[in-house]
Amino acid sequence: MIRVLFFGMLATKTGTREAELELKKQGATVSDVLDEVRRRFDGFPDGPLLFAVNEEQADLSSPVKDGDEVAIMPPFSGG
Amino acid sequence: MSDEVRIQEEDFSIEEEVRRLRASSKRIGAVVTFLGTARDFSEGKTIEAIEFEQYAGMALKALKQLRQATLERFDVVDVRIVHRVSTMKPGEQIVLIAVASEHRKEAFEACSWCIDTLKETVPLWKKEITPEGESWVVPHP
Repeated sequence: MIRVLFFGMLATKTGTREAELELKKQGATVSDVLDEVRRRFDGFPDGPLLFAVNEEQADLSSPVKDGDEVAIMPPFSGG
Repeated sequence: MSDEVRIQEEDFSIEEEVRRLRASSKRIGAVVTFLGTARDFSEGKTIEAIEFEQYAGMALKALKQLRQATLERFDVVDVRIVHRVSTMKPGEQIVLIAVASEHRKEAFEACSWCIDTLKETVPLWKKEITPEGESWVVPHP
């Protein structure tokens, strides 16, 4: 199981802060997680999006395995 | 609290942060601070309050990496960074970056780079609360 976290406007649009996904595919990546999220949440924004795997910045090609926490994030607006 | 990098709900004292920064070394000849504060007007809208959401854990880790990167990239003695995440009214303090160096040029450059890089690398999101409703801030490049 992969825990997916949404932040900021993405949490507002999906109506949730987190979701759990199962990826059957071997060698899955963040891109596969995003595809599954788009299937599950109609109208999920096209981007720009940022990603993290287990609290480290990642990109669409970063590997994802069972038990990982994947964050899908809008551009940061701190400061 | 003596940590050089913090994310907290409560307000902070610039004087206290600068005092702690200066106490870290007698080699310091310059201190530059950047203070970000909440505005009451943004892009034509009246702002009643702002709120920050953080990716807890990653945000603090990213801030610590930012301090380390600033120390490695510039010839500075010490850096302190404090960012608040509670609901803030116009005029309230949001973020403080304080940089100490032997000479002023490095401190100015490091402080400027540090706030620019914070905006790009630390997972924090600002929401503006206006009389018409709430909206997430879309950052400017």
